[in-house]
Amino acid sequence: MAIVAHTSKSSRFGRPVLAWIVGLLFFFPIFWLVLTSFKTDADAVKPEFLIWFTPTLENYLNMTDNYDYWRFAQNSVITSVLATVFTLAVGIPSAYAMAFNPTRATKDILMWMLSTKMLPAAAVLYPMTFLAKSLGLFDTHFLIVLVLSLINLPIVVWMLFTYFKEIPKDIIEAGKMDGVNTWGEIREILIPLAWGGIASTALLCFIFCWNEAYWTVRLTTIDAATLSKLIEGNRAPEGLFFGRLSAVSTAAIAPIVVLGWFCQKQLVQGLTFGAVK
Amino acid sequence: MSDRRIPRLLQTPAVVLLLIWMLVPLSMTLYFSFIRYVLNSLRRPEWTKPSIENWRGFGNYEFVLNSKDFLLAIQNSLLIVCSILFLTVILGVLIAVLINKAFPGQGIVRVLLISPFFVMPAVNAVLWINMILDPVLGLQGVAVEGINGLLDALRMTPVIGNFFGMWPELQPISFRATQTSAWAVIIMVTWQWTPFAVLIFMTSLQSEDQQQKEAAILDGASTWSQFRFLTLPHLGRPIAIVVMIQAIFHLSLYAEIEIVSRGNGNKNLPYLIGEFANNNIGAASATGIFAVILANIVAIFLLRMVGKTLME
Repeated sequence: MAIVAHTSKSSRFGRPVLAWIVGLLFFFPIFWLVLTSFKTDADAVKPEFLIWFTPTLENYLNMTDNYDYWRFAQNSVITSVLATVFTLAVGIPSAYAMAFNPTRATKDILMWMLSTKMLPAAAVLYPMTFLAKSLGLFDTHFLIVLVLSLINLPIVVWMLFTYFKEIPKDIIEAGKMDGVNTWGEIREILIPLAWGGIASTALLCFIFCWNEAYWTVRLTTIDAATLSKLIEGNRAPEGLFFGRLSAVSTAAIAPIVVLGWFCQKQLVQGLTFGAVK
Repeated sequence: MSDRRIPRLLQTPAVVLLLIWMLVPLSMTLYFSFIRYVLNSLRRPEWTKPSIENWRGFGNYEFVLNSKDFLLAIQNSLLIVCSILFLTVILGVLIAVLINKAFPGQGIVRVLLISPFFVMPAVNAVLWINMILDPVLGLQGVAVEGINGLLDALRMTPVIGNFFGMWPELQPISFRATQTSAWAVIIMVTWQWTPFAVLIFMTSLQSEDQQQKEAAILDGASTWSQFRFLTLPHLGRPIAIVVMIQAIFHLSLYAEIEIVSRGNGNKNLPYLIGEFANNNIGAASATGIFAVILANIVAIFLLRMVGKTLME
């Protein structure tokens, strides 16, 4: 095509090179974190070992002794998985009702749900601490699961709603004709049809739970403390522990970053509530 | 009719849960904001229990409005949120346009680019403030030292040495200091959220009308005017959505501020509330109410702007 012939040489080579530079620049901090995690604490702050150094696994091998990593990781897994399951269990029926039997109030309810997400968490920090302590729930898995579920529920309902809206109503109606009850409709028709959307929603919810760093830091001490709390507690190593801190940080983000690679497109698109296609 | 009732029943749990989540703690905050309530007080032990006897009216609000940290915190909240929004949208559009056309390794560049979005905020902050921005031990320190060393060497050389003699020695910037720590937060959050903007803009660019574009090229439209009059209007909606979603997340930014500076001169509203909450619950609650009002102003504004496009 004539148009292609018009593109100058510089843009044909310049554009990909620039794109690669931008991509590598954005990835660099993560690369640097991983690289530092293979240096000893002493080497990590010496300029002469900036790039050429003897790699060591000691930071990873000592992760349990240094930071008790696995206990925090276990808490992260437990709370994130349970919160995701609970949020979906509440969110799916709700989004189903809104998508297939909308009332006049549906739009307002959806908007109101989104607006609860804008409520600054800090505004209710003390009441939450107070309630948690007086109910004996402070620093328990139950509390963290509940809070993580509640803060993610609006986004989950929204995402599911936009996915469910894509399903033709007729299919659900046909189920009704066949005498399937509501529960059957959700289980037999809706979930198989919207499987992809539900999976992306679950993943995004899981990622937000895993990365959450306000309530998990403020409402835990030891028993239910997650990886966010662990990293936050070691925020200022003053150069003494760059190596080991990098290793534990790498271990904290690796599962989510790798998960993200495989479903980046669905995740980001889902977060726009289907408004960008 | 059961036909109408079942759907309503199905959304009840979600609505009730969110209603409790919103109303119970918030009404407690409202109540605490009108009474004298501190956690520790040897002089006035009666203030350590929440009670209506300790009614203070708008006293807590007055106290907060008069504290010098409050205005600073609002300024900082707005500075941080607005800078991040501005930077992520500009960078997002530029990068999306850059990598939108197919080129060798486009898929890999996409994966590299999106990675920061999945890093947990606590790690993001620890990584940037220590390993990268630290003025001595981080990459910044190493880079500044390297450049200074190079300048020193150049000063020694004959002829051109005079020229380099006029160059000042570079000073590393401490990003934990009062004036600069907000910028450290802005840098690290921009790094994390630009990829999000890029991916959304890219998705949107792929649905851009190609025929219109080709027609524009045949009419001799410059690259700039193609971008200005075709691409940019097309991106209006995704930009609005990126702004809304980011505003939701960044108004409650906390971990990054806590880790970078422990709020050293760089408090935003959530941080200030946390600080008051160490003892003065009344003041913390009044600040909380201000934060809610601020969030509501932003929310009404944004939902007006974006809400309609979301609903179509």
